[in-house]
Amino acid sequence: MHGAAAIAGIGESTYYRRGESPYTEFQLACIAIRRAVEDAGLELADVDGFVSYLDQRNNPVRLARALGLKELRWTGIPWAGGGNSMAAAVQVADAAVAAGYARHVVVFRALAQGQFGRFGQAGGSGGGGGGYMGGPFAWNGTYGILTPAHQCALHAARFMHDHSISQEALCEIALACYANAQRNSRALRFGKPLTREEYHASRWIVKPFHLYDCCPENDGAAAAVVTTKERARDLRHRPAAIVAAASGIGPPYGVFDGATLGSAHYRQVAKHLWEHAGCGPDDVDVAQFYENFTGTVLIAMCEMGFSSPDGIEEFVSGGRLVGPDAALPFNTSGGNIGEAYIHGFEMINESVRQVRGESTCQVKSVERALVVAGPGYCPGSAVLLGAPQ
Amino acid sequence: MKRVLGESWAVPSLDSHNRDFFTKGVLTLQRCTQCKHVQHPPEDVCEACQGFELDGFASAGVGRIESVAVVTQSVHPLLADRVPYAIVLVSVEDAPGILVAGNVVGSDADAVRIGDRVRVVFEDATDPRSGEKLAIPQWEVIDA
Repeated sequence: MHGAAAIAGIGESTYYRRGESPYTEFQLACIAIRRAVEDAGLELADVDGFVSYLDQRNNPVRLARALGLKELRWTGIPWAGGGNSMAAAVQVADAAVAAGYARHVVVFRALAQGQFGRFGQAGGSGGGGGGYMGGPFAWNGTYGILTPAHQCALHAARFMHDHSISQEALCEIALACYANAQRNSRALRFGKPLTREEYHASRWIVKPFHLYDCCPENDGAAAAVVTTKERARDLRHRPAAIVAAASGIGPPYGVFDGATLGSAHYRQVAKHLWEHAGCGPDDVDVAQFYENFTGTVLIAMCEMGFSSPDGIEEFVSGGRLVGPDAALPFNTSGGNIGEAYIHGFEMINESVRQVRGESTCQVKSVERALVVAGPGYCPGSAVLLGAPQ
Repeated sequence: MKRVLGESWAVPSLDSHNRDFFTKGVLTLQRCTQCKHVQHPPEDVCEACQGFELDGFASAGVGRIESVAVVTQSVHPLLADRVPYAIVLVSVEDAPGILVAGNVVGSDADAVRIGDRVRVVFEDATDPRSGEKLAIPQWEVIDA
């Protein structure tokens, strides 16, 4: 069953290493939004809605004013977490457009970890650090469990233990992202291939994660224009239909409890996505999985129905994720690890490119392009894009 | 017992939810007075019966390591000389379904395994603002 909305335009800033952006985060947002609107063949004045996800600092009223919108009719932001809501943000725009509350909604993410705090440092964006650990940070921060890497390592370690998964499975995710990034000149890892030996020789961040198991911290912005299918048909590019989207959790609801340890919190997202889409993992031509960390991607792949946990190591091994002819074409732009960490939104744009036939790692005749948002945090989300019908 | 992460590492900011856990010197978990459901971390509402009357349950503090990761790269200057340290999630025998986070004392970080039996021990700390004595739960392997 197809939804009522489609992505008609995509845009992004140049992607930068952390701290190297010559632009402020707000300027990066403006660049990506302007380019997405131009790509759609629209004017900035046509935009009447903004959606992002936590913790987006560039608020919609400031943007509407700076970009000269005629009016702002819709703003939205899914609750909780961060990158886990990347696809839920597209879902919020889809709902707004389908209901007629707005006509051209821009979904975007802008990130300048150089200008603001770093996700990977205590006290960066998550609070805590020396002195006191207050509220929810008291339970983990007191024990030096401070960053997403620490939390996701605890999920990955348990998953690896339960299903006899070796370090090589994690390595395969990193290698696939780097290999696909070699085809993509936008990618920060373009021209910097990674070998298995370099992966294993890299320092540990938190076992079982080596350096290359962790997404980098980058500066940049990406944006997409969501409008109705009918409107999208009249615009410049072949639209990417929003076939289905899902977000949610529960029960159980805890990030760390007996029932969810070793989980990416994607079982419920999978159930609703495939039910709504009327298809399943076998119908997916190309998939982007948000890699905060390689280990949690393995879990998300299983929970989305692509493999059993006991079969996941074989599923990802032997180059089965690499290139356009892979068994499962995966993170074809390089993803967070290989292209840039724009909180996963670069994966929405890559999926639109796949549907248009414009990827630098183009899969043949893409009918279904899947994006799975950040694993290990809840509520998770996913969106299935498709060829227009 | 001295603090695993050093005497200068952050202490919990005490509040009504965490005061018993971090000060009693007994592993104290939140329990509903009506339906006896035990939950962690504490909440304003019982997640089983939605009651508001919640008090503390003294656990025997014996459990099992359900997951372990070893932090090798410090993310805070105060922890630079503390890495590598093990972070663990522990299930508690007398409170099924919950996990308690902590560190492991008396073992090499790399020697800690999922499935190890552990018992609670307490590290001494002082709240620098109030001078209140803290007893922060930690874990010791009893049966590897």
